[in-house]
Amino acid sequence: MDPQLTEVSQLFERFKAAFVRKDFDTCTNFLSQLKVLLTKFVSLPPLFENTPNAVNELLLAGEIYEHAVVLSVKIEDQDAFERDFFQLKPYYTDVGSRLPLSQQEYLILGLNLLRLLVQNRIAEFHTELELLSATALENPCIKHAVELEQSFMEGAYNRVLGARQTAPHETYVYFTDLLAKTVRDEIAGCSEKAYNYLAINDARQMLLFSSDQELFEYCKEVSVQVTSIISIKCEFFFKGFGKQRLFRLVPNDCRSILSRR
Amino acid sequence: MSAGAATMVSSAGGLLAMLNESNPQLKYHALSNLISFVDQFWPEISTSVPIIESLYEDEEFGQHQRQLAALLVSKVFYYLGELDDSLSYALGAGPLFDVSEDSDYVRTLLSKAIDEYVSLRSKAAESSDDAAKVDSRLEGIVERMLDKCILDGKYQQAMGISIECRRLDKLEEAITRSDNVHGTLAYCINASHSFVYRREYRQDVLRLLVKVYEKLPSPDYLSICQCLMFLYEPEGVANILEKLLRSENKEDALYAFQIAFDLVENEHQAFLLNVRDRLSAPKSLPSESVQPGSSNPAHAQNENSTAPEDVQMTDGSSAVHEADPNEVMYSERLTKIKGILSGETSIQLTLQFLFSCNKSDLLILKTIKQSVEMRNSVCHSATIYANAIMHAGTTVDTFLRDNLDWLSRATNWAKFSATAGLGVIHRGHLQQGRSLMAPYLPQGGAGGGSPYSEGGALYALGLIHANHGESIKQFLRDSLSGTNIEVIQHGACLGLGLAALGTADEDIYDDIKSVLYTDSAVAGEAAGIGMGLLMVGTATEKASEMLAYAHETQHEKIIRGLALGIALTVYGREEEADTLIEQMTRDQDPILRYGGMYALALAYRGTANNKAIRQLLHFAVSDVSDDVRRTAVLALGFVLYSEPEQTPRIVSLLSESYNPHVRYGAALAVGISCAGTGLSEAISLLEPLTSDVVDFVRQGALIAMAMVMVQINEASDSRVGTFRRQLEKIILDKHEDTMSKMGAILAAGILDAGGRNVTIRLLSKTKHDKVTAVVGLAVFSQFWYWYPLIYFVSLSFSPTALIGLNYDLKVPKFEFLSHAKPSLFEYPKPTTVPTTTSAVKLPTAILSTSAKAKARAKKESEQKANAEKSTGPESSSAAANAEKGKSSSEKDGEAMQVDNPPEKKSEPEPSFEILTNPARVVPAQEKFIKFLEDSRYVPVKSAPSGFVLLRDLSPNEPEVLSLTDSPTSAASPAGGSAPAAGQQSSSSAMAVDDEPQPPQAFEYTS
Repeated sequence: MDPQLTEVSQLFERFKAAFVRKDFDTCTNFLSQLKVLLTKFVSLPPLFENTPNAVNELLLAGEIYEHAVVLSVKIEDQDAFERDFFQLKPYYTDVGSRLPLSQQEYLILGLNLLRLLVQNRIAEFHTELELLSATALENPCIKHAVELEQSFMEGAYNRVLGARQTAPHETYVYFTDLLAKTVRDEIAGCSEKAYNYLAINDARQMLLFSSDQELFEYCKEVSVQVTSIISIKCEFFFKGFGKQRLFRLVPNDCRSILSRR
Repeated sequence: MSAGAATMVSSAGGLLAMLNESNPQLKYHALSNLISFVDQFWPEISTSVPIIESLYEDEEFGQHQRQLAALLVSKVFYYLGELDDSLSYALGAGPLFDVSEDSDYVRTLLSKAIDEYVSLRSKAAESSDDAAKVDSRLEGIVERMLDKCILDGKYQQAMGISIECRRLDKLEEAITRSDNVHGTLAYCINASHSFVYRREYRQDVLRLLVKVYEKLPSPDYLSICQCLMFLYEPEGVANILEKLLRSENKEDALYAFQIAFDLVENEHQAFLLNVRDRLSAPKSLPSESVQPGSSNPAHAQNENSTAPEDVQMTDGSSAVHEADPNEVMYSERLTKIKGILSGETSIQLTLQFLFSCNKSDLLILKTIKQSVEMRNSVCHSATIYANAIMHAGTTVDTFLRDNLDWLSRATNWAKFSATAGLGVIHRGHLQQGRSLMAPYLPQGGAGGGSPYSEGGALYALGLIHANHGESIKQFLRDSLSGTNIEVIQHGACLGLGLAALGTADEDIYDDIKSVLYTDSAVAGEAAGIGMGLLMVGTATEKASEMLAYAHETQHEKIIRGLALGIALTVYGREEEADTLIEQMTRDQDPILRYGGMYALALAYRGTANNKAIRQLLHFAVSDVSDDVRRTAVLALGFVLYSEPEQTPRIVSLLSESYNPHVRYGAALAVGISCAGTGLSEAISLLEPLTSDVVDFVRQGALIAMAMVMVQINEASDSRVGTFRRQLEKIILDKHEDTMSKMGAILAAGILDAGGRNVTIRLLSKTKHDKVTAVVGLAVFSQFWYWYPLIYFVSLSFSPTALIGLNYDLKVPKFEFLSHAKPSLFEYPKPTTVPTTTSAVKLPTAILSTSAKAKARAKKESEQKANAEKSTGPESSSAAANAEKGKSSSEKDGEAMQVDNPPEKKSEPEPSFEILTNPARVVPAQEKFIKFLEDSRYVPVKSAPSGFVLLRDLSPNEPEVLSLTDSPTSAASPAGGSAPAAGQQSSSSAMAVDDEPQPPQAFEYTS
């Protein structure tokens, strides 16, 4: 075996060990070393030179990048996810025919779809979808993402928020959580336009929170600043989304006083 | 595995993603791979350009990597069509931008870079401060490009670029390193004339060229001297000539003569005189001859250069007994070269040529004369003008002589121009000019003659001595100061201006100025023009003096004369003249604006300068005065004469203007710039104008058409025949307007100018402008206001001949080949039958063979007639004639031999013809001229026309001379008295003296 390849695979073994240990800092270190080493292989994208070890090298590199993608999810770094995914992609699209199908492929494609959904990049989401084969669409991981998108588009936000339970893989949880936040952002954005005032109860219901406490936390998280209770009774404001625009949550009994827009 | 080769990347996404990695090695990897895929994936990469740009600007990133990033961005911008950005990043890429790469990207960017560099450099040069510092990286790229061109042997490209970039150092390198230095130098001279628009810069280029030339092991002195002339460095030319003359080698002397002839062709009188005066006299002591040319005795000699030449000659010959043979040889050669430089030799030879080959058709004149009404003085004098033009320089005044009665109807100014016409006919008759005109000249005090003929005679003297007036200057000055009759002053001013053309002689200027200040309209006009002629191209500060007087005086005539005069002073000064032009074109007085148009025309003559053209077009459509508009369009002709193909295109819209003045201007503009070219577009543009509704437009169009068609015969363009018939029709038509009739008569004269042996040429063979010719045409175009100025057109005539000369500057018998059908360039057939039948007969196709036979028959009869005429006491003349006849029959015989003996009607015309020295070679024919290889004489320079020095390969054999004898023979002492010997026919007299004799005086009987 090629000494370089051996070196890479040994390093990769150590990376995997660290990965299992969930020592993600070490993993990141190893990963960057691995990537540098990989640049020395001419058989890898984008050159694809036909060397005797090409298949082995491609396989190994593909696996490394798959791990890199998963790692990025684990460390919750979306930028790294995007970077690693794009570097991984040629292994699926360009040399897919020459390599045995990777176990992780659909899982990772699904993750990417989810990521696009989370980042609200719907156009890219559909572009990616169009590139998938019919068999891929049957895969539960992909299906999950597609269904989520459909629910999201329909406005069936309850289903979206319920998707956490149906996640096909543990890594999906990260994105479904993010998605829930995306959904709430969307709802909040619409409500801001639609209502001048909103009762706290309604707001909680609309944003699908189980308790007022969660609602307040969300408010705290999203808005730049929550203005404290200013009216004697119940009315309080928070600034919505940093747009300097007031979004008021009004207790139910005050609603009659204030007209709807 | 086998599928691996086919694997291609489908997206640059991976690599782009890699750019965001934190590890610089990965970034570098991504960059270097992106570079190779940019051609394919630039749309994807373009979205990431900001990232790559930030990499380029990242100080921590390695130098190489940053340059790589710059190159990548540059390529993406190139694909996006943002060439400016692309170039600035390519500059950032430093050495990675490989100028030798053969790709669209590199080529496009290189041309962009060069354009950019050129514009920066020229801006820097024009603003003349170093504030506009050129990006050194840009300079680097251009330099790399130039080096590469030179290495690849693409010297012309390298030279072109370096000329444009004003990189004379690189230009020099390109020339010296090229494999054919002479070729590249010639190319470079050409390029500098046609593409360098700024005069000062052109001079820099030429100076460099001279430097390079001088370093060569075998310098091409012909070209050096041309360059030096452009630079106005007479000293350099004189040194070279002297070196060549002092050489042991006879061939070097031939070279020197050739150089002198070529210089003379450019008609730069002041320069030539300067060169002549700088040639040092032969040394009387051998020891002195070791000293360099410009030693003290030479200076002493130069100081009294006013002394006639023969003084110097006797100096040389007196030293013969003690001087070494070299000095004798030198002094002999010096005499010859001085003769050439003063223009006398070439004028003499031209005169002989024009006289001996005169083919003017008197029948045409006769027809004109008969059809023109006696009482119509305009047409009457037009006929006289036409005669003068037709016989310009031929010394043949038979027509005038035969029609003395008719001629005597010319009165007043018509008499003035009739007398002046003699000057045109005898143009160049330097030795005897004065004795010729003697009967008409003012006879100091004993004023018997009419002032009109006296004034005309002075004008005629000017025309005879145009641009070579050394000998006549003093006489004209005396005549000017000796009279206070304004008509005589008029003639004297014009004559002086012509004779002292461009010499900037202060004394003459003062003389003329005093005439101007008499504030007489007639004399003042001529004074203004005369001052301009005197100061041609000097850009003298006297122009402001003239301008001031133009504002002061009340006479329009004087203002007009001055306006033209001022315009003449800035001749050829290009940018230098801009202030004056600005001043004139902004003037309130339309006449001065009109002068401004001429100033533009003359300052930018033949440069095709865009700025000047734009300005002229602007005035052509926006000025309120018709005169100014007409002149503005006309001036285009002068600016564009170096590129005649352009003119018809530029003025085509103007020629359809509603304003007849603009149409007239357009016609003349085409006539001037396309003169003698027979350009098809020009003829097409003029044709409709010759039947315009307005009479003066027809006049202009007819004249312009004649100028375009000079020396073009029917075989090369059938429209020439049509035009001749049209002229005839107009002249014969009783109801035609006088204006267009006059135009037709003049056109007939111009069409057959100079005995059908001259053309109108504004550029010499070396692409230098011919001052006299351009000035001549400029003043000629004034005939709109003042008919006698028509004669100035004769200044623009140049003989179309190849005259071969041997070491003794004589014309040996020498043959060469014209590789074209003879019929293409032969003389037009003489009109032999009464006009009515000829009109029917002409259009029928005449087989060339029969035409030839006819021509020969005619020639024979002519010879016979000649022989009969010369049965006088002078047997020698018969011999001379016989010899001439022999040579021409020999020529025929040779043509026949080639032709295969029996002449049948069906036989095709020969595809070439043998010409004998000296021969008429029309401009269109020049490219067909070939010298025979086994000839006894070999030309020093293979020029197809003009004066060519011939090297004699068998110098010991006796030479057969074909033209008349030595031109150096002293002027015939009988010159003055010959006319008295009444019966002598002029032709026989000529044979004796080897010189056309002055004609007899004739008196006006009115």
